[in-house]
Amino acid sequence: MTSSKPSTEPSPSQSSPAPPVTASVRIAAPPDVVFPYFTDPALATRWIANAALLDARPGGVFSLDVRGNPARGEYLEVDPPRRVVFSWGIEGSEDLPPGTSTVEVVLEADGEDTVVTLTHRDLPTADFRRSHQAGWGEFLGILGGVARSAG
Amino acid sequence: MPASDVETLARTDAVLRALADPNRREIIRLIQDTELPAGQIATHFTLTQQAVSQHLTVLKRAGLLEERRDGTRRLYRFRPAALEPVRTMLEEFWPDALERLKRVVERDHPKKGAKEQ
Repeated sequence: MTSSKPSTEPSPSQSSPAPPVTASVRIAAPPDVVFPYFTDPALATRWIANAALLDARPGGVFSLDVRGNPARGEYLEVDPPRRVVFSWGIEGSEDLPPGTSTVEVVLEADGEDTVVTLTHRDLPTADFRRSHQAGWGEFLGILGGVARSAG
Repeated sequence: MPASDVETLARTDAVLRALADPNRREIIRLIQDTELPAGQIATHFTLTQQAVSQHLTVLKRAGLLEERRDGTRRLYRFRPAALEPVRTMLEEFWPDALERLKRVVERDHPKKGAKEQ
């Protein structure tokens, strides 16, 4: 009986990207009040970063120190008060350099509230089946960035 | 920092350390789609069986592999869920951050009859 099993070499869909991470929140304030918290360094340091350097225009610098992680990127789209898109990476990582992944923030007015929806895309995949050499480095780059905040 | 963050970081750190070694990464490649006994894993290396066994222990402690006993043999299989700390970290980070944003904005801009979410 030759019920041959396929080898350990994986084959399935090589191209599926890592799924995005999403999050949302409802805030009792209109979008024009909420929006600057994504673009004004003095406001960004009140909720997300210890330090912020922000130049909110396409191509402008996006730089946050988040719990010891140097998150770096640039603004890609700035459409107040509805939408802002910036790139996101970890400084010092060869494999996840600043600008690698993308964060899209959409602000939707709902009555007197704002529904903020955040989508973090283009994250390097942690799927080992499709990452042999290059993927490992990429993954370790992320882990390095994450682990650095452990001190 | 909440305890859950510390735990996540500790787990992530263990995974990172376990993956820092090329032999251990090679072990994971061997068992990522199949279950293998320790002896068979060792044949892929020039290392001593004892050295391979130590690598397996490190991987097991990091949660990167499952160990199953079959008689006297120990069988190992890659445990992809161990990689979740990285994703978990982001999946926890953004909702936490947005909750802080909500609190800050609503504190900065209180309005009458503001409702709790």
